[in-house]
Amino acid sequence: MILAQTVAAAGPALDAAPALAAAGDVSVGEQVVFWILAPVALGGAIGMVAARNAVHSALFLVTTMFALAVFYVLQAGPFIGMVQIIVYTGAIMMLFLFVLMLVGREASDSLIETLRGQRMAAIGLGIGFALLVASALTRGLGAVSAQGLEEANRGGNVEGIAAVLFTRYIFAFEVTSALLITAAVGAMVLAHVERPKGMKVSQKERSRARFAEGSYPGMKAGPGVFATSDSVATPALLPDGGESDRSISRVVPARGLTSAEAAPKHTER
Amino acid sequence: MAAEVLARSLAEPAVLAADVKLPDIDYLAIAPMLVLFGAACVGVLAAAFVPQRLRYRVQVSLVIGALLVALGLIVTVARAGRAVATAGGAIAIDGPALFLQGSVAVLGVVAVLLIAERSLERGGAFVSRASLTPGSAADRDQAEQPGATEVYPLVSFALAGMMLFVSANDLLTLFVALEVFSLPLYLLCGLARRRRLLSQESAVKYFLLGAFSSAFFLYGVALLYGFAGATGLGALRKAVQAGDGNTTLLFLGLAMLAVGLLFKVAAVPFHVWTPDVYQGAPTPITALMAACTKVAAFGALLRVFTVAFPVGAVDWRPVLVAIAIATMLVGAVLAVTQTDIKRLLAYSSIANAGYVLTGVLALSAAGVAGSLFYLVAYGFVVLAAFGVVTLVRDADGEATHLSRWAGLGRRSPLVAGVFTFLMMAFAGIPLTSGFTSKFAVFSAALGSGQVTLVVVGVLSSAVLAFPYLRVVVLMYLSEPAEDTPTVSLPGTLTAAALAIGVLATALLGVAPAPVLDLAAKAVQFVS
Amino acid sequence: MIDVWWLLILKVVGIFAFLVLVTLFTIWFERRVVGRMQHRPGPNRVGPFGLLQSLADGLKLAFKEDILPRGVDRWVFVLAPVISTTAAFTGFAVIPFGPEVSIFGEQTSLQLAEVPVGVLVVLAASAMGVYGVVLAGWSSGSTYPLLGGMRSAAQMISYEIGMGLSIVAVFMAASTLSTREIVAAQADGTPYQLLGMDVQLPSWYVLLLFPSFLIFMISIVGETNRAPFDLAEAESELVGGFHTEYSSLKFALFFLAEYVAMVVMSGLAVTMFLGGWHAPWPLSLWGEANTGWWPFLWFTLKVMGFLFMFVWLRGTLPRLRYDQFMHLGWKVLVPASLVWIIAISGIRSAARDEGDRALWLTVLGLVFIAALLGYLWPRRRPVPPATADSGAGGFPVPPLDLVVPPNPRAKRLAATRAGTGPASGSGEGADDEKEV
Repeated sequence: MILAQTVAAAGPALDAAPALAAAGDVSVGEQVVFWILAPVALGGAIGMVAARNAVHSALFLVTTMFALAVFYVLQAGPFIGMVQIIVYTGAIMMLFLFVLMLVGREASDSLIETLRGQRMAAIGLGIGFALLVASALTRGLGAVSAQGLEEANRGGNVEGIAAVLFTRYIFAFEVTSALLITAAVGAMVLAHVERPKGMKVSQKERSRARFAEGSYPGMKAGPGVFATSDSVATPALLPDGGESDRSISRVVPARGLTSAEAAPKHTER
Repeated sequence: MAAEVLARSLAEPAVLAADVKLPDIDYLAIAPMLVLFGAACVGVLAAAFVPQRLRYRVQVSLVIGALLVALGLIVTVARAGRAVATAGGAIAIDGPALFLQGSVAVLGVVAVLLIAERSLERGGAFVSRASLTPGSAADRDQAEQPGATEVYPLVSFALAGMMLFVSANDLLTLFVALEVFSLPLYLLCGLARRRRLLSQESAVKYFLLGAFSSAFFLYGVALLYGFAGATGLGALRKAVQAGDGNTTLLFLGLAMLAVGLLFKVAAVPFHVWTPDVYQGAPTPITALMAACTKVAAFGALLRVFTVAFPVGAVDWRPVLVAIAIATMLVGAVLAVTQTDIKRLLAYSSIANAGYVLTGVLALSAAGVAGSLFYLVAYGFVVLAAFGVVTLVRDADGEATHLSRWAGLGRRSPLVAGVFTFLMMAFAGIPLTSGFTSKFAVFSAALGSGQVTLVVVGVLSSAVLAFPYLRVVVLMYLSEPAEDTPTVSLPGTLTAAALAIGVLATALLGVAPAPVLDLAAKAVQFVS
Repeated sequence: MIDVWWLLILKVVGIFAFLVLVTLFTIWFERRVVGRMQHRPGPNRVGPFGLLQSLADGLKLAFKEDILPRGVDRWVFVLAPVISTTAAFTGFAVIPFGPEVSIFGEQTSLQLAEVPVGVLVVLAASAMGVYGVVLAGWSSGSTYPLLGGMRSAAQMISYEIGMGLSIVAVFMAASTLSTREIVAAQADGTPYQLLGMDVQLPSWYVLLLFPSFLIFMISIVGETNRAPFDLAEAESELVGGFHTEYSSLKFALFFLAEYVAMVVMSGLAVTMFLGGWHAPWPLSLWGEANTGWWPFLWFTLKVMGFLFMFVWLRGTLPRLRYDQFMHLGWKVLVPASLVWIIAISGIRSAARDEGDRALWLTVLGLVFIAALLGYLWPRRRPVPPATADSGAGGFPVPPLDLVVPPNPRAKRLAATRAGTGPASGSGEGADDEKEV
């Protein structure tokens, strides 16, 4: 329901946002959502690096991406926000999870440093860089007011993006297809194992093998059962080793099957 | 009738159609890129539909044909004297762009000759099925199988991306071009036939660091957009000139943009990937990277700094000067300590990046011309040098350790002679292209008062001459050891590539005037 | 237009109640319909016609013991059903189920939030909903749920592409992504001259964009994990799939999420292809049909129609094998969508150039039909000549002229009758013989 309410709150915000943003103003609703979601986004990012379990890591990343998507929506970019959710959190992170599930839940990084002091240095430099960029941006953007949003979204957000994409950046947009083709070819080259004909076993061949002469086509006995026969005529064993009469149907003893008849049936050689 | 009903109901609203209009595109000007992209797409289809036995021939002729056609088109456009910013100002086809595109095409042809070689080793330098686990039984089985032909479309994509990279007039187009030519290179690095693990490691390293540098680049683009409100290089220059923007955003953005570009040219704080990647990648791909990637990356660097930020040069030049000095010194000094020929050439390429930066930092027409000339001259030398490296081999493939090269001069004087000539060109001995190109950039730098750079450049050249000469000494004055590898007889393709490389090196050393003139005429950027 | 706060809350509560009630109804409805299809009555004990059966089941489920198996990843295990349910409910926020009405004197439209990218919100919600299923599978820490989760992940990615592409045609036709405007775009027909008469052409996209509708319908069955595409929970292969380890309320939440997702997807289909809340043809002749609260009824009825289709599919089709399912998604739905989109674009650009229109249309139509036929042409494999032991398609099946071996008992019975066999059990034997 939280999301529903966010969308509900964002709906009106979207109508009102261009006018407010153009005036360099931020609505109260936007501020509230920002201060709720900004720690979530940041926490997700930190958690993603810190989590030991790969799936948890991916989940934290999903949280961050989701929070960012809401930010985009709040900033009068609903299209990019939704595309972020559908494509990044929906498809790409899902692929991530898929791979992680294939790899297995026990897979985790080895935490042995090959270079001594590397981790501490990386943390220190990373924090330093973050502080540098953050302070510079705070200084640079502290007194800046947003401009041009109203113009950009004049004919609607989606139409605005389309207009930019298909005029000024048309060549970059088209060339992106080369990137995608390269990625697809690369995935095939690096990951696709071309099996020669005959190595691939089809259902038909499996079935044939199962019924081939000399193999046992029936159900195997369940785990933990030391069974010499899976015939209904074989009585269960009691704790003392004796046979339980109650375990077989009343009519079965009347048949008086021989042990040969009750034994598992292999296909004829 | 059904179709007409559809058409009527689907007719687009008039508002949208009037608003959005495709910008004018000068198709002739961008035709070279389109040809290469087209050839790459056809190559991908060929990989799927052409029968296995024909694939190699079809693919190789497709790439080389496309490159030659592109080259012809570039010459046509240059003859027509066009200098336009087309496709909505996203692409600038001007003197430097055409010169660099032409260089990429020519060097690309030579690199493809090396890549296509299949007589030195059965099946060529590329693995057949990269997906198999190195060392597994299936992997050992594929040792004799022909290499993957997907290499050729990937090379086409990379070269097309490089051509776009040197002509992109817009930071976003520049970024897309960067990715378009980087991604195929990441892949190609991991496809070596021998030493699969080393090759895969190099691909992963290159990919991770490359992705990281791309992130920096993109963040820089975002900040610069925040500064100027536009991504076009011309608009950026106007915004810098107007000077009423937010300078914090400008400098932060410029710094991050520079990180992305300097990573690709392998300048010093961002050079760590170079030796590992050059060593692990298949040698023809290393040659491609050392020649063409360098051309493309410096082309973009020149364009960005000359077109967009000439006004703020006082602020950013000292930083880049420091980087250039560090690049020359670190490259030269570390080259001395290397024992592997591919790593040695990698460090030498780092130092050479420093020399080109010297030309770029002259910030004058002579500097641009000198850098353009340097890139072409260096490209030919490095292609030929890596071509020789592919020849020196033993049962395990290429013998790249320096100790294995001892006494090579006595066993195969011709190959050793060629390599000696190339080493002299690297060291900048007169009558080779190395001398003329170094002279061009250093004189340009002196001309605009960058004395420090020139002094460091000359000093580091002297240092760098040591490892080159050491290889020469090793080849001629040492006794051949038991395990000195044999030099394979080069196949037609490698021989052609070597001949072109050596000839160009000699010509550019003896009679550099035509190319120097061409470069001098091609210094005018449009935006 | 911004609603007053109490109206927003009212709408949120109203939609929640509507979805829960429809879920309860649908569960009963499904069981009754499937029952009828299988010649049995279905639930008919609790309440009139068994209507309260799902309520009773829900209450029972809530009071069951909540089991948290050892070895599960606690946080994720608890989070998964919550994600699933939340995402399922969210989608309905942008679906319009009526025109402007007056609630306690306030004029408002029957839609919680009007967003310019409404349809994408539903897609995003369904994309997030998958996380519930996948995480449930992973966090259970056992094999069958894991397999179910993995299937679900692959399934969602595959079918979302087909679904997104099928929707593109609607976007192109309506020139908008907003649900309300898509409904508005289907309000009036296009006037067309036919044999000198003015004919009002249908405007519902189900007629205009039938291929898209077909692809969308198939995709939403895959997207909602319903039979015949319910591979993530396939009970005959994976016990319960992703929810094998779940019990009590957490299981109930999954149950709820599945049915709510069905309703939301049906609502989206109605909005995009069936004219939304607009009254269908004979009713639309009545002037009042599209005003006031009536459209809510039409909308609900159309949604019911879709729900019936879901049930019908489940009642009649066997579950697909996993590879067949992927084949359908990637090699049929996606290419078909692409061809269809290109065809539409072609028609559009033909409509723009008035001059060569007829030529364009003919060429395009021919190319399109040829491509579609070429693609969908059934590939005939030569059928091997039937031999004595080759059964259906070469699979070993019992021969049709199978002679049932004689009952071993027959001999014994004969012996008993002759008085030589054991005396005991002869009575039973006689009974059996009658049955045989």
